[in-house]
Amino acid sequence: MRGFIQHLLIVVAAAAFIAAIPPVTPVSAASKGSESKGRYYFRSTCKSCHTKGAAGGEITPLNKTQAQWKSYFASSKHARGKEPLTTLMTEDQLRDVSAFLDAHAADSLQPETCGK
Amino acid sequence: MDRRRFLTWTAGGAVGATVAASISHFEPFLKKREAGATRVEVPTTCEMCVNKCSVIAVVENGVIHKLNPNPASPKSRGMLCARGNAGIQQVYEPARLKRPLIRAGERGEGKWRPATWDEAWDFTANKLLGVKDKYGPQGSLWSSTESFQETFFKNLGLSFGSPNIVRHPTLCLASVNLAYSATFGTVPAFDLANAKYVIMSGANRFESFITPDTMDLIESTTERKARLIYLDPRFTVTAAKADEWYPIKPGTDLAFVLAMLNVIIGESRHDKEFVNTYTVGFDKLIDHIKSFTPEWAEQETEIPAKHIVRIAREFSDAAPRAVYYAGRRSSWYREDFQTRRAQAILNAIVGSWDREGGMVPNGKIALGEYDFFPWDDPVAPRIDEIDKNFPMAAKGDGAYLKLRENVLAGAPYPVKAWMIHKQDPMNALPDQAKTIQMLQQMDFVGVIDVQMSDTAWYADVIFPESTYLERQDPVEAMSGIWPVVVYRQPVIKPLHDTKPTLEIVQGLAKRLNLSQYFDFTIEQWVNAQVKELPIEAPLEYLKKHGIYVPPDFPKYGTTLNSEHRFVTKSGKIEIFSDRLQEFGYDPLPLYHPPAQSPPGTLRLITGRKAYFTHANSTNNPWLNAFDPENRLWLNPATADSLGVADGQLVEAASTAGAVRLKVKVTQEIRPDCVFMLHGFGKRAKWQRLVAGVGACDAQLLETAWDKVSGNAALHETFVKVRKV
Repeated sequence: MRGFIQHLLIVVAAAAFIAAIPPVTPVSAASKGSESKGRYYFRSTCKSCHTKGAAGGEITPLNKTQAQWKSYFASSKHARGKEPLTTLMTEDQLRDVSAFLDAHAADSLQPETCGK
Repeated sequence: MDRRRFLTWTAGGAVGATVAASISHFEPFLKKREAGATRVEVPTTCEMCVNKCSVIAVVENGVIHKLNPNPASPKSRGMLCARGNAGIQQVYEPARLKRPLIRAGERGEGKWRPATWDEAWDFTANKLLGVKDKYGPQGSLWSSTESFQETFFKNLGLSFGSPNIVRHPTLCLASVNLAYSATFGTVPAFDLANAKYVIMSGANRFESFITPDTMDLIESTTERKARLIYLDPRFTVTAAKADEWYPIKPGTDLAFVLAMLNVIIGESRHDKEFVNTYTVGFDKLIDHIKSFTPEWAEQETEIPAKHIVRIAREFSDAAPRAVYYAGRRSSWYREDFQTRRAQAILNAIVGSWDREGGMVPNGKIALGEYDFFPWDDPVAPRIDEIDKNFPMAAKGDGAYLKLRENVLAGAPYPVKAWMIHKQDPMNALPDQAKTIQMLQQMDFVGVIDVQMSDTAWYADVIFPESTYLERQDPVEAMSGIWPVVVYRQPVIKPLHDTKPTLEIVQGLAKRLNLSQYFDFTIEQWVNAQVKELPIEAPLEYLKKHGIYVPPDFPKYGTTLNSEHRFVTKSGKIEIFSDRLQEFGYDPLPLYHPPAQSPPGTLRLITGRKAYFTHANSTNNPWLNAFDPENRLWLNPATADSLGVADGQLVEAASTAGAVRLKVKVTQEIRPDCVFMLHGFGKRAKWQRLVAGVGACDAQLLETAWDKVSGNAALHETFVKVRKV
């Protein structure tokens, strides 16, 4: 009897807990990194060296495929392995840059449009 | 005074008053040239259509007397079309928007009260914040058409937190853009000036869009004897100028292209070296195409098989200076994407890529940017659920008709505010009754425009934008065979209490606590854009010349090397598309016959004339004079069966609505179709030349869209026509 009441109380408590959870706001891909912020960081940080004529040589999103960019960020190494990427940016910023580069990579789907 | 003299004086007075009223409209032009009058010529950029030709405005004593072409522009050279010339009327139109307006009666009643800018901004911001509080920022919709200042409007919507940005391509060319992007990784230009063989499906370039590109085609076909094959259910001006016209059965163009592929591949007429070097998936096309014979296509298209065979052979013989022209508006049928994809594949297998006379990847010029740290991404998903419904479509453009469907349903969430820039959804979207319903469902509708459009007529607040001849805009890098940077500067000061879109946006941003994203002047924005141009003193150069034309264009062959990687999954031109297959679409075009007209109905097709840009310049008096009223085109056999004569009033009705307009009985249309021009039968009474004149095609057109891109399909409506 005691065991039954304990089980019943657990079930009731669980039901109350679930009912108290607020409705889930629909979540977009923003949690995967922000393309627009990634673009900003890419332009303000990466492009300072990786532009035409500059020390690091020009790099654009089209330099690598999506898989290659993924591998690059997974290795987290910069300047041919000399330093970790986190010396340049925070983890959050790197996630944003990764999202931007992934969306505009050499093999990513990026249909052209009229105007902007 | 005797009665005769009284009547004479009265009549004379009436005539005089009429003359005086019409003269007042032209008063700016009648000022006599005085000694010492100032005359300046100011280079700028046209905004009467999407082409953005370069213009030189002749201004005397602060009045624009003429708009002339800027010969420095390779796009426009020595030509400015009828619309470009008539841009003056946008400025001097007495009924244009002159000050902010707030609705005073019911929506669509046409009652307005003038407002100060602060009042209009405060009213709008309060409404938008109210919607945000109740429904979240995703409860607001931001729709726009391309303009040099569109980016500021879109940024306001995005920084507000709404994911619901929707743009004009989803009503126009989204299907052809996606088809070419899926095949080549880019949408190329068509080197019509140097082509030897051109096929056009319904792209009425000699009539619907008269630009210097049109002149290239005319010169190419008439003087250089390039062959033009034209397919269209109507005998248009292009049909008249073509070498061959076929009144193709509507919606069957894909069958024609598939049969051409069948002949070219079956007879081994494709460019084998090009196919082997630059494409993937050709081997799968060989088997795929076998059943699509010319004899089969003849049954579908009503074009004789012998002509399909001959055209295919001639096309491949002329390659690489042979193109199946992609056209511009591709909002026709539910199968538009695959039709355009088949055309892209056809062009590819004959090697018509990056070579003179073929498709040419666009040259581009990089501009600088005014950098600022962007807002947080919107949290909610888009209201049109584009990721689920059209996963390959350009997400920044959206899928307008699906969006409307979801807004009307209030699902997946309610949308209750609608901000609109340089767009007239009442006419641009088919099934106007649904657009009106959508407007009425809103807690707030705000419009930015230069004239009282039908949509503005239903708005709550109207912000009057300064016309393109009265404002400074961002510079624009126009890609193409001859890429250019075009400059737009005011040629006169604003005549009325109007503002450019950036200032309208800044006024709203201040009240929405979003100023940090618009904390710049237009001059600062432009300076940042031009600083990287490879010319000395770029701003001064552009002010003086109106355009920067880089040397060394056109360039051919830049992608025809082993190092070039096409922006596709495979890195090559994709004849067979793995990506399409992964998304559940046909990886090679398959033919699905178009819907056939139910008994007693006719297919409604719509189109354009070069005087009118969408629905927004039919009220321009200089342009309206060319064609003051649209009519319903009926074949004589159809007219006879209905007992209708030329000029008679008829009613055309679909499931979307019914309209009345006069008939044009003509041999120039198939018996199973009717045609009407877009942009008439307006509701906004301020558009005095076209309000209630002719009929509005948007009231008749039913809702349909292309399966892959979500682009509107505007030729899928069937109407019943009867004498009234």
